[in-house]
Amino acid sequence: MRILSVDDSAATRHFIKKAIDVIGFEFLEAADGKEGMEVVEREKGRIDLILLDRHMPVMDGIDMLLALKANDAYRDIPVTMVTVELEREEIQKAIDMGARNYLVKPFSQENLIGKIMEGLDMDL
Amino acid sequence: MISLEEFRLIRDYIEKHCGIHLTDDKVYLVETRLTTLMIEQGCKSFSELYEKSIADRTHTLRDKIIEAITTNETFWFRDMHPFGILTEVLFKRLTENILSGRRNRIRIWCCACSTGQEPYSIAMTFLEFMRQYPGIRPEHLEILATDISSTVLFLGKLGRYDNLSMSRGLAEDLKNRYFETTDNKIWTISSDIKKMVTFKKLNLQEDFNHLGKKDIIFCRNILIYFSMEFKQDILRRIAALLRPDGHLFLGASESIIMYTKEYEMLRHAMGLYYQVK
Repeated sequence: MRILSVDDSAATRHFIKKAIDVIGFEFLEAADGKEGMEVVEREKGRIDLILLDRHMPVMDGIDMLLALKANDAYRDIPVTMVTVELEREEIQKAIDMGARNYLVKPFSQENLIGKIMEGLDMDL
Repeated sequence: MISLEEFRLIRDYIEKHCGIHLTDDKVYLVETRLTTLMIEQGCKSFSELYEKSIADRTHTLRDKIIEAITTNETFWFRDMHPFGILTEVLFKRLTENILSGRRNRIRIWCCACSTGQEPYSIAMTFLEFMRQYPGIRPEHLEILATDISSTVLFLGKLGRYDNLSMSRGLAEDLKNRYFETTDNKIWTISSDIKKMVTFKKLNLQEDFNHLGKKDIIFCRNILIYFSMEFKQDILRRIAALLRPDGHLFLGASESIIMYTKEYEMLRHAMGLYYQVK
């Protein structure tokens, strides 16, 4: 399985990478939505799940989610939105736009892996 | 915001289905942990989430609610004393029975195993013990590890840990003897240890009599989350599952004297454990 983390926080990407390493999946990363879309295009959509930060410079998480959903080749890649805020409207907006689920920081390794498995529809 | 009425509805639902007792000061915890689930499920309120969970006959949503509320904190060889008691008292006694043909194996149950550190610590303790007792083999110990959370069971079965997890209570010689690594970042528990442990999803609220009689049960750092009634209920059912000379281990700060008269408290070195009467 190949997981792409799009987050402007290097510390968050590092934390996510460690969790992905534990479950033996492949880790890809990008520091903003624009870089994230470049990775998706470079990999020709061969990504199994995207962990997408809500707030980032250049292109934020909602804009990247919109770009993914607007493209037939990428619209089915499951997206887990990641944010520091527990704002109902924000979560609702992302879910309505097609995000698979939502993860609020700070999260534990188990929380993260649980969300990834749910996003991948993996039966544990 | 979650209303007090909704909080109580969900609090009672959680207690009914997994025994965890949430006091009124846990309103914020319930709200923060369940808000994303509520929206992901397309619910407009916590009461709608509750109704949807009740209507879900597969119990998938109920399990997600319970998983969101539970906390997992675990270490290798947590509290140390239980593992000393296993080596110096219980393994010694029980393996004598194996060598004399009075029993086939030792059966241990870890009832809240989290990501596997406790059952694997028991397995390592047994393999270390075995080094001094020829004739005893790994298959003489059978460890059942259960938890209510599918995620932690998945991780336990995987048996892969990062350096942070490895640094929590694991001695260097055991790490070198029972783990493999290719990059010094991720450590995989050896297959010899892995095959001694069976992981299984189990809600302690449900009947567990079918697990079969056990010699030793680890029920550590979990009773604190339960109501007085559920503590009594589970301790009674654990007593019924233990063999006549069976033993129970609790967390270092837990005591059961006030909840049950079915156990006798024993002391070895600085550690406490309980024998079923």
